[in-house]
Amino acid sequence: MPTIALDDHVLLKGITKQFGSTRAIDSADLTIRRGEVHALIGENGAGKSTLGKILAGVHEPDEGSLTIAGETVRFRSPRQALDRRVTMVAQELALVPTLTALENVYLGIESSKGPVVDDRDHRRRYQRLVEESGIAVDPSSRVGSLSVADQQKVEILRALARNAELIVMDEPTARLTAGEVSNLLQIIRDLSAAGTTVVFVSHFLEQVLEIADRITIMRDGRIVRTSEASTESTGSLVEAMIGRTLEANFPPKQPPAPTVETVLKVTGLGRAGSFEDIDLEVKAGEVVALAGLVGSGRTEVVRSVFGVDPVDSGSIEMLGSILESGTPRKAIDRGMGMIPESRSDQGLMLRRPVRENVSLPRLGLFSRLGMVLKRGEQESVGVATTEVDLRAASLEIPVESLSGGNQQKTMFARWLIERPKLLIADEPTRGVDVGAKRAIYELLAGLAADGMAVLLVSSEIEEVLGLAHRVLVMRGGRIVCEIDGIEATEAEVLEAAFGTSAEEAVGV
Amino acid sequence: MSEVHVDEKIGTGGLIAQFRSHLKGYGIIWITLALFLLLTVTTGPFFSEANLRNILDQQATLLIAASLATVAMIAGGFDLSISAVFVAAPLLALQVENATGSILLAVVVGVLAGLSVGVLNGVVVAVLKVNSFIGTLATSFMVFGAGYLISNRRILQPESENFRNIARSRWLSLTTATWIAFGVVLATWFLLSRTRFGRHVYATGGNPEAARLAGVRVTGVTIAVFALTGAAAGLAGVVSASRSLSAMPSDDFSFLFGVLSAVVVGGTSIAGGEGGVWRTVFGAFFIAFMINGFNLHQVDPIWQRVIQGAVILAAVSIDAWARRRPAG
Repeated sequence: MPTIALDDHVLLKGITKQFGSTRAIDSADLTIRRGEVHALIGENGAGKSTLGKILAGVHEPDEGSLTIAGETVRFRSPRQALDRRVTMVAQELALVPTLTALENVYLGIESSKGPVVDDRDHRRRYQRLVEESGIAVDPSSRVGSLSVADQQKVEILRALARNAELIVMDEPTARLTAGEVSNLLQIIRDLSAAGTTVVFVSHFLEQVLEIADRITIMRDGRIVRTSEASTESTGSLVEAMIGRTLEANFPPKQPPAPTVETVLKVTGLGRAGSFEDIDLEVKAGEVVALAGLVGSGRTEVVRSVFGVDPVDSGSIEMLGSILESGTPRKAIDRGMGMIPESRSDQGLMLRRPVRENVSLPRLGLFSRLGMVLKRGEQESVGVATTEVDLRAASLEIPVESLSGGNQQKTMFARWLIERPKLLIADEPTRGVDVGAKRAIYELLAGLAADGMAVLLVSSEIEEVLGLAHRVLVMRGGRIVCEIDGIEATEAEVLEAAFGTSAEEAVGV
Repeated sequence: MSEVHVDEKIGTGGLIAQFRSHLKGYGIIWITLALFLLLTVTTGPFFSEANLRNILDQQATLLIAASLATVAMIAGGFDLSISAVFVAAPLLALQVENATGSILLAVVVGVLAGLSVGVLNGVVVAVLKVNSFIGTLATSFMVFGAGYLISNRRILQPESENFRNIARSRWLSLTTATWIAFGVVLATWFLLSRTRFGRHVYATGGNPEAARLAGVRVTGVTIAVFALTGAAAGLAGVVSASRSLSAMPSDDFSFLFGVLSAVVVGGTSIAGGEGGVWRTVFGAFFIAFMINGFNLHQVDPIWQRVIQGAVILAAVSIDAWARRRPAG
């Protein structure tokens, strides 16, 4: 065995990467030791993913040098990185869903007898891989039918089958359940113990502290520091990430007056396979949060309220009158607005200008006889985008050229042209940086203070606790409890979401 | 003609990125003008009033159908039934003319027949959720078949010589066919760039789910664009029948190829959500100039096809290349 204990696996010197006018990475120096788990952390946009991608050959740096195992290299493609035994498990998994796990693992490196693929040999090698790594996935299962966690395992097996010595994992736990996360962390530990270097890009600080040997913190494209994980805490990491201490992140809550009108009243709402028996009310000026685990039915409920998906039973009342079989158009006409879960899939026309994206649901206001009066549109869109503090070079640039935070602000601006009575916000801060998060919190709180009813769906408990007047916790398609938003604690919400009490576990 | 498209011009810095977005935005204009100049210089007859008027007249039917096909494509719909409607609608129109003697009624019936096929296409695509490529391929065969039934497999001719006036009257030295095409192009441009419906068309093609959640009636928009395309193909068929004073049943897809070539070469994205009718006009004239130039230079027609195919391939490749975003 060669010496692998403490030698440097990767050496980055003065790495700089520019995207358009933004400097994603600014002269970064970094050493990664062989066999360690090295975490890269930072806010969204801090450059941690970009740095990971440079390592794996996805991006080519503009300046600086990259030394792998003592040799200076220049990766122009992931393929070249792989030749140096460096590969990446990306956030968006790159597997072929219609092929089996086995076929995916050996895709592109098939062994063959003449022109015939030697599946026997694949199975043998797969078996060995599984034994060595302890990562078990049924080789003949179709990848498309596997859970995200299992797909990730296939990706890791694929990396190992290609003899990778360094695996960059970009937010590998973002889409996993708690149980799957601890499984993956164990796999990473085993990989590291077997001598594989793992670069763990993540914004889950607890996981980072648990798994990493060393942590590199990034801010605005620069490396703040690299340190032994044992010397850091969540607090010290956050402070270094944002460059200030994190406090008063949430605006103060103004409780709504007890006499105000009920804007939304949902009674006995059910949709087969998604949720049942949903009763909820949102008053004017009130923020009600639907909390719960991913898959507990929160998003499904608000989608049905907004008329996106049909319901099987129950009723939806807006301001006292019942909404018959909904469509989003009808919901909007009755005073609802929604910021959907995924702004790129469900919210924005990415290639269209900001202006068109903002005005779309309210085009009627600027139209005479079906003609759009552009001047009025421009004015209103201008006012709305200023109000949300949207930063764009112009309202005519395509939305896709904006940052995540500004894209989300585009979604909010849409509902400020004419304010709905009820705003449904599904994961409103997903994929936005800390600064934009704070702005969105203030916006939501401000809208509620002005009398808007807000129905919030969020996976981030602190967000739920920080914003909501009332918290409804969902589990398995039902609302399992209601907690006062002022008094709620994280433990209380989590307990309800996971259903930790024995009696409830039997019930479901 | 295109305030709607200024957005495409603003790139994200970098010479290649700028070149790319410019090419994507306006390449077709430059290349069409360049070809125009080239033919003017290299051939005597090209830049003559008669030749240019002739080109305009010949492009009329294609432009009528291609304008609305552009709208369908922007909305994310692919209409293969344009040819079938182009063939069958004038057969029905001529039967009506033969039976009633009314030219006006014949035109109306021809257009309505196209509209009905379009509505059927729209329902197949938007309500039954059939992929538009396959759905309109299927309706194509139905409509081609209907053409044989309507005409009893005969070549039809109008009762009255006056039927030719639809396309061949002259006004300000241009044919009515040219004027009709001009009107359809202008109306389509207005529809796309100035109306709420146009905005909904771009939104539907750009991201149907997002459009629906923003309150756009995506199903209605989809049915409407197919209906309009069908009506336009019907009108194009009637104008064509007026030009030749006859109509004949066939299963000939070639009209569709011309239409789609013009749309795609112009730069309207086959992925939907982007494009414009002015592009299709340039695309159509680029191809027309090219063919005219081939003829004037006496290029073998077989080679003309090969080169035309290569040009379409190039246009689509440029679209794909320009779409590839700089990594980020």
